[in-house]
Amino acid sequence: MSTGPRSWFRDGSADAVRERNESAWLIPKGQERANHQLRKDMRRFDDSDEIDAVIVGCGAGGATMLQRLARAGWRVAALDAGPFWDPERDWVSDEAGSHHIYWTEPRVISGSDPVPLGSNNSGRGVGGSMVHFAGYVPRFHPSDFRTYSQDGVGADWPIEYADLRPYYEDIEGELPVAGEDWPWGDPHRYPHSAHPVSGNGLVFKRGADALGIEARVGPVAIPNGRFGHRQHCIYRGFCLQGCKVNAKASPLITHVPDALAHGAEVRADSMVTRIEYDERTGRATGVRYMRHGVERFQRAAHVIVAGYSIETPRLLLHSTSKRFPDGMCNDHDLVGRYLMVQGAPQTGGRFADEVRMYKAPPPEVSSEQFYETDPTKPYQRGFSIQNVSPLPVTWSEHFAGQGIWGNRLREYMRDYVHWATLGALCEFLALPENRVTLAEETDRHGMPVANFSYSQCDNDRALMDAATGVMEDIMHAAGAEDVVTFNRFAHLVGGARMGEDETRGVVDSDCRSFAVENLLITDGSVLPTQGSANPALTIMAVTARAADRLVKDRSG
Amino acid sequence: MKARLPSSGQTPGDEPSRFPGFDVLAQSHAWDPVTAGIVLRRLAPMPALRFFDPALEAIARPMLDLLLDQREEPRVPVFEMIDQRLAELTTDGWHYEDLPEDPEAWAASLRALDEDAFTHHGRGFAECDDLERTALMQAVADLGSEKWHDMPASRVWSLWTRYACSAFYSHPWVWNEIGFPGPAYPRGYKHPGINALEPFEVPDRHPVDPTEGQL
Repeated sequence: MSTGPRSWFRDGSADAVRERNESAWLIPKGQERANHQLRKDMRRFDDSDEIDAVIVGCGAGGATMLQRLARAGWRVAALDAGPFWDPERDWVSDEAGSHHIYWTEPRVISGSDPVPLGSNNSGRGVGGSMVHFAGYVPRFHPSDFRTYSQDGVGADWPIEYADLRPYYEDIEGELPVAGEDWPWGDPHRYPHSAHPVSGNGLVFKRGADALGIEARVGPVAIPNGRFGHRQHCIYRGFCLQGCKVNAKASPLITHVPDALAHGAEVRADSMVTRIEYDERTGRATGVRYMRHGVERFQRAAHVIVAGYSIETPRLLLHSTSKRFPDGMCNDHDLVGRYLMVQGAPQTGGRFADEVRMYKAPPPEVSSEQFYETDPTKPYQRGFSIQNVSPLPVTWSEHFAGQGIWGNRLREYMRDYVHWATLGALCEFLALPENRVTLAEETDRHGMPVANFSYSQCDNDRALMDAATGVMEDIMHAAGAEDVVTFNRFAHLVGGARMGEDETRGVVDSDCRSFAVENLLITDGSVLPTQGSANPALTIMAVTARAADRLVKDRSG
Repeated sequence: MKARLPSSGQTPGDEPSRFPGFDVLAQSHAWDPVTAGIVLRRLAPMPALRFFDPALEAIARPMLDLLLDQREEPRVPVFEMIDQRLAELTTDGWHYEDLPEDPEAWAASLRALDEDAFTHHGRGFAECDDLERTALMQAVADLGSEKWHDMPASRVWSLWTRYACSAFYSHPWVWNEIGFPGPAYPRGYKHPGINALEPFEVPDRHPVDPTEGQL
């Protein structure tokens, strides 16, 4: 069903974007960062209205779906458990003061390599995890869609790269994305030219050049210049704390304003606890949710779940009925399984020069040279390398976590301005035992919390080692006097993956669940593989495609 | 804590700075009011203790002082900041399946440290001297993924250091010590690049490579 590449100017120009998504022009022109009038005038549905679709979660997947359906004339509401943020009032230019932008509801982590949550991988409120994501928005490579047939690992998607390409182009225009011409995967260009780089990016480029490793500036979801009424980036380095400038993209500013202007509702502070199911018709009837201590029920003709890889499986598993005693859509014990994280080691290099990596946005330079399977290596798949720039709290935790404490810790931290940092994203494989189940513990609403179990396989560990080796080589080649690597994880995808049929996936290629005809899942949990790319762009593109198919299907 | 004028380039313990004259708070006029409210609150008196009882306090205070090498006044009130977080349940939400939730894990691990002190020195952690305390703490750090009092040692170590670092390195006095200007909105930065400084930044006048002979 692929369409060919579209005209560069049609997709990338501000005029073309404005025609299909006016969000950037609905943001106030002056110093205000949220359009309060638009929110005040927002349409509000009654719980008893059977709206066309209710969406659970208003992040990368949910907000994109909301905007697309509102544009198509659907009566649609997105319920989000967190607040409807105002960047000016609610976010701060401070690391420790940004705790509230993460999902910090109780969860249990287990397995042989448990993955801490609640910070770099779990968003809260309207805008979701993209509120605090670094801003890197690479596409997946064509190989990511058929890792099983090509490399014998992971899974094949029921769609191909070419099916997503037009949606990648659309979303890249809407964020919009800045970066140099991209030589990897399906080579492509970006609507905005690359940003200038800071000391941290210069170190990466110098090291990569010395070793003959290809590196490029970008791709980042920060327009290079003003875009609509969004302000130019001020290079303040606090991307991970929520962009107070409205320069870095999140659905809060790239899709929600246009959705509201087209009659959609965003219902914040609404925690969905159960999807209701009609045994007689075999359809989902709506969602039960808690708002301000009161339990309510929103009727809807379609239920679209977009709560991300932990909360989406948790909600499905909790939505039991006579037909689904083990959780909705869980006939084949697939809900919650094949959850993935990426290995994300960070390598710091110490220079006599002052690098001051806190200046400029953390997303700067990347390389996808090691992304694909290298037949000369003992492991399958690969990794990417990107600049990262930890702020002091995170940087100190890195050293302390390695047993450096007391006076030595203070000495390392007094040296903060001399360090540059690289981060890798290693493609960890989708494994059935890496999964979400329901724990005995319950949250304040009485709903069982998620237990997320994670264990690495040998291929995962080999990739971490290989990525660490390359990053340390780059630092040494750039002239670092010393290097140190910290192991960590980033990103979540999978948990309700798409597949060819109901024995291989929870949803089909259009994100419709196999088991319940009017139930869709449009978030990171449907991804069968993850590549070594940051997932946000692909989550939005998969959702934009699913929305397109849903609208076309209904208008027949 | 001694009373200080806010704009003095204060460092913890009055330690001499590698960035002489650098004063984060002298730039607070350039911060947005919401951020300024959050950051300046760290200089205000702390609320009364709510989580730690006196027995735990007697263990936690010297432990945190050693963890962050705070030996002299004025101290960043790390102990009080952690008490506040645990009392208000400002946690990350998750906990390891084999470790209780953060408040309980803090209490259990401090008691375990005290038990170790009794085992090795016949008196509580509070009564030990700094050399003895340092050795007891290093023993936990060195255990790695092995069990320590039925808890995985590495996870206890991670719990202690995450809370301690998050409190200490969020304090403007400590930013003076490390040359980090703190909040940057709405001003931003104009001079990224190697050895490139903003007018309000101060270069490192006494560089010391901390890794020499250590890693």
